[in-house]
Amino acid sequence: MKKLFAVLMTMIMVFSLAACGGTDNKDDSASPKTDLEYVKEKGKLVVGITDYAPMDYKDADGNWIGFDADMARAFAESLGVEVEFTEIDWDNKILELESKAIDCVWNGMTLSDEVKAGMSTSNPYCNNSQMVIVPADKAAQYQTIESLADLTFAVESGSVGEDEVEALNLATTPVKDQATALMEVAAGTSDAAVVDSLMAGAMVGEGTSYDDLTFTVSLNSEEGEVFGVGFRKDSDITAALNEFFKTAYADGSMMECAETYGVQAAIIAQ
Amino acid sequence: MELFLEQLPIVIKALNVGFLQTLKLFFVTLLGAFPLGLVIAFGSMSKFKPLSYFTRIIVWIIRGTPLMIQLLIIYYMPGLVFKNPIWGSGEEGRFLASAIMFIFNYSCYFSEIYRGGIQSVPIGQQEAGLVLGMTKSQIFFKVTLLQMIKRIVPPMSNEVITLVKDTSLARIIALQEIIWAGQAFMKGSNGISGAIWPLFFTGIYYLIFNGIMTLILGQIEKKLDYFR
Repeated sequence: MKKLFAVLMTMIMVFSLAACGGTDNKDDSASPKTDLEYVKEKGKLVVGITDYAPMDYKDADGNWIGFDADMARAFAESLGVEVEFTEIDWDNKILELESKAIDCVWNGMTLSDEVKAGMSTSNPYCNNSQMVIVPADKAAQYQTIESLADLTFAVESGSVGEDEVEALNLATTPVKDQATALMEVAAGTSDAAVVDSLMAGAMVGEGTSYDDLTFTVSLNSEEGEVFGVGFRKDSDITAALNEFFKTAYADGSMMECAETYGVQAAIIAQ
Repeated sequence: MELFLEQLPIVIKALNVGFLQTLKLFFVTLLGAFPLGLVIAFGSMSKFKPLSYFTRIIVWIIRGTPLMIQLLIIYYMPGLVFKNPIWGSGEEGRFLASAIMFIFNYSCYFSEIYRGGIQSVPIGQQEAGLVLGMTKSQIFFKVTLLQMIKRIVPPMSNEVITLVKDTSLARIIALQEIIWAGQAFMKGSNGISGAIWPLFFTGIYYLIFNGIMTLILGQIEKKLDYFR
């Protein structure tokens, strides 16, 4: 009796494994449809975001708003699908895309080489730059790039800011994200940090934990740094979005949206 | 200080939402892992060798790899490798994937504790039961089980308290539990940006909840103190 039970158990376990394999095979053969068709069939565009004012953030009622959120909503509408926002871990954005947990990353994403290599990216739509953050009481000494020579910089690991600081041959401490970089400066464990200007504008100063920090030099205002939207590799939604950007820029709705969130100066002509 | 008092209600509200997710994951994991652990324990103690080896290999894999990797695998692998994102989008899918992985992971740990508990009951009692004409299942439920439960309470308490804190690992697949909620304020959330303290404040939630758990588990241990 007991032996029979044991055999039965083993068989159930083996079959449940086999069953997983079975469904997968079936699905493989049935997926030559394009990414756009996939999203339209599903009826919703899942947008991967983080809480990142002024691009994507929640209003008092818990709805996602912001320049990127509003544009994503309008784009989904133009495709005739629903929009769904889902918060992701920024480190896993390519994983989230490739595993189809989300359909695009639309969150003030800098078009770095890493991003371009891992995703299909839209035309750039917004400018950004990297700012040096130092304690406010020391800000006066660090107004030029030359004056930064002896500082140690907390930078987001893998970020554009890290590349910029390393290009200047300055000492860096890579940390998990931009917020941690700021915490390093606030805690005195690093002399300075490099974060992007949108972040610097939103996080440093009165009413934050960082009211004793300030930003001084911009590291790459010459060449600049741009934001784009990322889709799965070889996705055909990218082209659709570029078209949408052109139309929205031409009819003024993009600038109107940008003015709502105070980013109109940074918008790139489409 | 004024700023802190102004932010406190907003932060507490957001952390409560996160902690609710933490608690949900905690209780679902316990409910699932308590019985599944017993099934796995029987599997690894089975006299039928293939089943016993199979179960032990599974337990070895689950205990031998970080839960964080397991969460990444269970959530992303179906979509990445099999092109079939079974979990669906949004928070529910992430919760479901986390819950299944947590249940499976913890039942493997529980199974070893159960096995230790069952095997610690002297074999003479089983023999006595057989002599008295009891069936194997009668012996297990009427003789072994209660003694086993009593013996495994302290090591299980350990696991339960570890589980409360381990739920924070689910943030790797963006399950918005309390650590996630606390961390969100570092960047900006609910109109507060650049606030560091909410992240550390989450520790108080864990501490209080684990205090309650310790008391409850202590009570259970006392209640079961009837054999000697």
